[in-house]
Amino acid sequence: MENQIEVRGLTLDFRTPRGRVQALRDVSFSVPKNQIVGIVGESGSGKSTALWSILGLLPSNAEVRGGEILFGDRNLLQLGEEQLRAVRGEQVSVVFQDPMTSQIPVLTYGQQMLDILYRRPNLPIAEKRKMAVDMMRRVGIPDAERRIDQYPHHFSGGMRQRAGIAMALLMTPMLLLADEPTTALDVTMEAQIIHLLRALQQELHATVIVVSHNLGLVAELCDEVVIMYAGEIVERGDVRQIFYNAQHPYTRALLECDPARVLKRSRHLPVIPGEVPDLTAPPRACVFSPRCSRVMDVCRRTKPPDYEKSNGQIARCYLLSEEHGDPDWPPRSDVITVYRGGPSRGGAVPRGDALDLPNSTAVSAGDVATPLLEVSNLCVRFRIAGALAARLRGIQDPHVDAVLNASLTLNPGETLGLVGESGSGKTTLGHAILNLVKAPSGSVRFDGVEVLNMAESKFKPLRRDMAMMFQDPAGSLSPRQSIRALITEPFDIHGIQGRDKDHEAERLCGLVRFPRAFLSRYPHELSGGQARRVGVARALALRPKLIIADEPTAGLDVSVQGEILNLMSELQQRHRLGYIIITHNLPVVRHISDKLAIMYLGRIVEQGDCDAIFTEPAHPYTEALVRGVPRPDPEHRRTLVSIEGEIPSLARRPKGCDFHTRCPYAQDRCRTEEPVERPLSDGRRVLCHFPLFE
Amino acid sequence: MSVKPSDSATGMPAIDSTGLAGDVRQRTVRETAGRERREKLLLFLRNGQGMFGLILILLFFASAIFAPWLAPYDPNQLDIPVRLSGPSWDHLAGTDQLGRDTFSRVLYGGRVALKVAAIGVSVSLLIGVALGMLAGYGPQWLDNLMLLAFDTVRAFPTIVLALATVALTGPSLGMVLAIIIVTLIPQYARMARTSTLAIRSTEFIVAERSLGANTFRILHRHVMPNVIGPLLILAAMDVPVVVTIEAGLSFLGLGVLPPTASWGTILNEGYLAIRDTPSLVIAGGIPLVLTTLGFTFFGEALRDIFDPRLRKGR
Amino acid sequence: MLAYLLKRVGLALAIIVAVIIVLFSLLHLIPGDPITIALGPRATPEAVQRYIEKMHLDEPVIVQFAVYLKNAAMGDLGVDVFSDRSVTWIVLDQIGFTVVLVVAGLTWAILLGIPLGCFSAVRPNTLMDRVTGILSVGTIAVPSFLVSIWSLLFFAIMLGWLPAIGAGEPGNIGDQLLHLVLPAFAVGLGWVGYLARMVRASMLEVMRENYIRAAHAFGLPPRKIVYRYALRIAILPTITLIGMGFSGLLSGAVFAEVIFARPGVGKLIFDTVMSRNFPVVQGAVLITTSLYIIITLLSDLVVAWLDPRVREAL
Repeated sequence: MENQIEVRGLTLDFRTPRGRVQALRDVSFSVPKNQIVGIVGESGSGKSTALWSILGLLPSNAEVRGGEILFGDRNLLQLGEEQLRAVRGEQVSVVFQDPMTSQIPVLTYGQQMLDILYRRPNLPIAEKRKMAVDMMRRVGIPDAERRIDQYPHHFSGGMRQRAGIAMALLMTPMLLLADEPTTALDVTMEAQIIHLLRALQQELHATVIVVSHNLGLVAELCDEVVIMYAGEIVERGDVRQIFYNAQHPYTRALLECDPARVLKRSRHLPVIPGEVPDLTAPPRACVFSPRCSRVMDVCRRTKPPDYEKSNGQIARCYLLSEEHGDPDWPPRSDVITVYRGGPSRGGAVPRGDALDLPNSTAVSAGDVATPLLEVSNLCVRFRIAGALAARLRGIQDPHVDAVLNASLTLNPGETLGLVGESGSGKTTLGHAILNLVKAPSGSVRFDGVEVLNMAESKFKPLRRDMAMMFQDPAGSLSPRQSIRALITEPFDIHGIQGRDKDHEAERLCGLVRFPRAFLSRYPHELSGGQARRVGVARALALRPKLIIADEPTAGLDVSVQGEILNLMSELQQRHRLGYIIITHNLPVVRHISDKLAIMYLGRIVEQGDCDAIFTEPAHPYTEALVRGVPRPDPEHRRTLVSIEGEIPSLARRPKGCDFHTRCPYAQDRCRTEEPVERPLSDGRRVLCHFPLFE
Repeated sequence: MSVKPSDSATGMPAIDSTGLAGDVRQRTVRETAGRERREKLLLFLRNGQGMFGLILILLFFASAIFAPWLAPYDPNQLDIPVRLSGPSWDHLAGTDQLGRDTFSRVLYGGRVALKVAAIGVSVSLLIGVALGMLAGYGPQWLDNLMLLAFDTVRAFPTIVLALATVALTGPSLGMVLAIIIVTLIPQYARMARTSTLAIRSTEFIVAERSLGANTFRILHRHVMPNVIGPLLILAAMDVPVVVTIEAGLSFLGLGVLPPTASWGTILNEGYLAIRDTPSLVIAGGIPLVLTTLGFTFFGEALRDIFDPRLRKGR
Repeated sequence: MLAYLLKRVGLALAIIVAVIIVLFSLLHLIPGDPITIALGPRATPEAVQRYIEKMHLDEPVIVQFAVYLKNAAMGDLGVDVFSDRSVTWIVLDQIGFTVVLVVAGLTWAILLGIPLGCFSAVRPNTLMDRVTGILSVGTIAVPSFLVSIWSLLFFAIMLGWLPAIGAGEPGNIGDQLLHLVLPAFAVGLGWVGYLARMVRASMLEVMRENYIRAAHAFGLPPRKIVYRYALRIAILPTITLIGMGFSGLLSGAVFAEVIFARPGVGKLIFDTVMSRNFPVVQGAVLITTSLYIIITLLSDLVVAWLDPRVREAL
């Protein structure tokens, strides 16, 4: 098959104050025509850098040390700026990660698209406009003729991404580059965009390179896959080969760590220990050797070459070589190669072993009598406009209901997953429980005591028992305080004296495995994972009974998110902590929760046992969510999109059932009558007229 | 790289982030903190603008503080016979209408400038920051009221406000100071308010509240340190503004009264004699220019160094 | 947009009222007899009597204030102490000159400063950028009244290229323009540097944004990206700043008028302050500040209108 584009031996450095970062080292791969190739990697892998090199859109401190990028009959790296510009937009185009920031806010889409079409000076404007409207329609934007004259801020996230795709495809480029095209989108939107990209690629016979860290996306979309680690390509091959018969230990480990692939629910998720090496001084030997579970002496001495197998798969690992190779490598796909929670260290440990802690340890007989937390009919309202402005704009009620009639129960030692997309109100609910936001009605009982809207002075002692872990780890730490000060602050605030604060700080560090030497550092000097550990330490300082964790794995690579989760799990075991995990990450929450509560537009639409919800969702929205997560399994690609449409705005709540505008099962009654919560036979509760399960 | 024995609780080998053994790490951390400070200092020293500005500032301070020793003559000493003479060896900068030595007057004028700058900036900074933080963190009505007050003060061009006030009170240095303070406060207050508002809704403030910290603690330990930095830079940049206002007002006869030497009054006398003895306006103007340039360059250099965009933590 | 418009206009009016309050309080808070303070020791008994009647000085302060407010709303700002002419007319007579001066100064600053800022932003850290940067800081630092004095000295007196005094012959545009050159130069000089830096900083920030990167990725020509995309957004804060900085321009104009003996509201205020003619001072200050308030209002509205996010969200 002919290649659309070929990258050979690309080597690139970044000149930084810290030194030269060798971001790409001898990167080579080819992209056949009309295929979709995925570049997979975690943070620091260089995948985005490789992508931007194709178009020459690198920051000014980037320096290409060698290699070529062959496109057609030209080497793109040797082209001057003028020539590159001729290529951009016309032959090679880009879909960006975040549609909210990558579209200029002061021009309409129509104007932007006309600008892009400047290369067709012979076309009259009317023609150009027609082309633009056509493309908008093709990407699924309704009412395209009218909406093309609107500004980006009129479009919601998913629509903006569609528009971004339209702009990229306007000149029908031969090659389309997509940089994390769904990362910034909600789950249900992600599914739509994947479907759209697949359809468009086939229609337009385009070649696509997708960069992503999301294995599910890659499995659903790509024909071939390239795996990158720390600036090198460690494996390449056909998508099925990679997913079912990965050759490189890193690829293998990555697949094993992905919570969506760990089929049996487990409290302990696999992790690749250690960190990505510092690229100012990359190891001369195999780049993955410090973290590899199958490392051999030769791996630490010299860099392995690329070994090609008969089926075309290529991996950079000595395990494939004649002399050092292991004929039993790779093992069967149900064998774990990475370290898991538990004393064993790799080898053929079958899944579902005794290391899995039974999920119902926490909810054993005992304290079920007094639940730790009981929330009933909690409501939170926000004002969106002043009285005068509201009247002028003709808005009847200047309030939005961020949380509406939410009820849930949590027992000690239990984990409740609070799941929803953006605007679902899950974070607000968490804040309301902790008295950080006023709630006009409802009840929150903590340890039997009513705490809703309690005066801060009375509530303060309770804060020792209820703690929060925040979504943005470094952002939730006051920038000018040392870590030591931040960790010991809870003691200061609650006036606890007589305790050696240094001792406490060290104890907490040990508990969360945070290196003691870093206590004198400042938040901006920590990595994401370290900052999160500090967050855990702070939450634990006063031995709380309840911890509300807001997106505990956001921003963490898949191979290391297990560390935090395993830590939390272990702490829960030891201290019988109750957790409320607020997240939109379904694969993760499936493993760590006992119960789930699914939220949509401020209401809890389904709640109950986690397993039950995942195996047989009762609410159509839950079904959409569960089925909407891309499965990292190329053999099980979805042919249907889960649901259409977008999340309505809180200010324009649909009449009747909130979800009826998007529900594939909606009936007349749903459009007019609000559903009432009803129990199901297995103890779950659901808010629907016609649940999918009784 | 040493691999520590595994932590028995989870069986996971505890390879920590830096992969280094204990003591080495300790040393590294201390080194890093010191290195950062040295880096900043180096950046500053290499910044030509900043160094130049610093030199000028030191010159200003030195000449003002040591004026009594540096001045060859008493600034108010009259010597009519040599009035309105140009620069000479006797009188480095010439003399004014009453034969007073301009050079000495310039040196003493620096003292007035120093006094005005010191008092003006520090008092307005203190009051402004307090008001700003209050406006940012307090109830909405207080914020609205303060904003209205600030906007009203800012509506007056400085000179116009001074003129209006002098029309009623008559000229004096005290009045100049009062005008300066009143004009400067809204600036600092606005800045402090904006920072306070921005910080108020950040995640780490919510985190502090979730721990139970009260308002005072939050303001004092978390808001203040983040607000004070840019404010100090602004203060440094305001010194030339203050000195200029004083000089301008004195020039118009609204501020310091004769016979006190101030750069403004020297310029005033120079202006009246501009056709005969141009040296006066030049002599009166140069120290003003040098001082304002000095503080401005210095402030710019500080801003460049402390620009949060340039400091990327890791 | 309507809501925003109403809110801003309401705010502007509130500030104007607050300004009147300030002026009134100044008068009444100063110890002494308000009449003597306002009218000065040279007022005739008739003038005093008329003043007392007109301003209802025998009635409580609130009533005086209300009367003044009512009169002001209808354009009557009282009468001159000596000549009995309407203050409003006196001021409006002179304000034209000031406006011309300020506009001329601002125009040349914009024509030079914004392009300079643009070029610097597009070629950062080149020699030209560095030089422009230093010159910009330099011109900002030098006090504008000093620039007036020195340019008067240098260009008018020493070199004789341009006239030193006055606004030129009425009716003779050429002569008037000639007389405008030096004052406009002095008023605008500091702004050249200020605008250049502002535009540069704003553009650099905008050029870092993702949407600019996207435009590059779509192969749009760089010139178009800079002018149609980047500048369009970067100009918004600059407009706001020009609006706010108008008071500085007015201050500079006051000095320029005094130094170059040009007619204008600045000179008017200065002269009437010297002659203790407070009603004129009060009226002139009120009109000047109102002018400034209207300018800031306009600049805010222009910015709001240019940015579709603001325009439509409100």
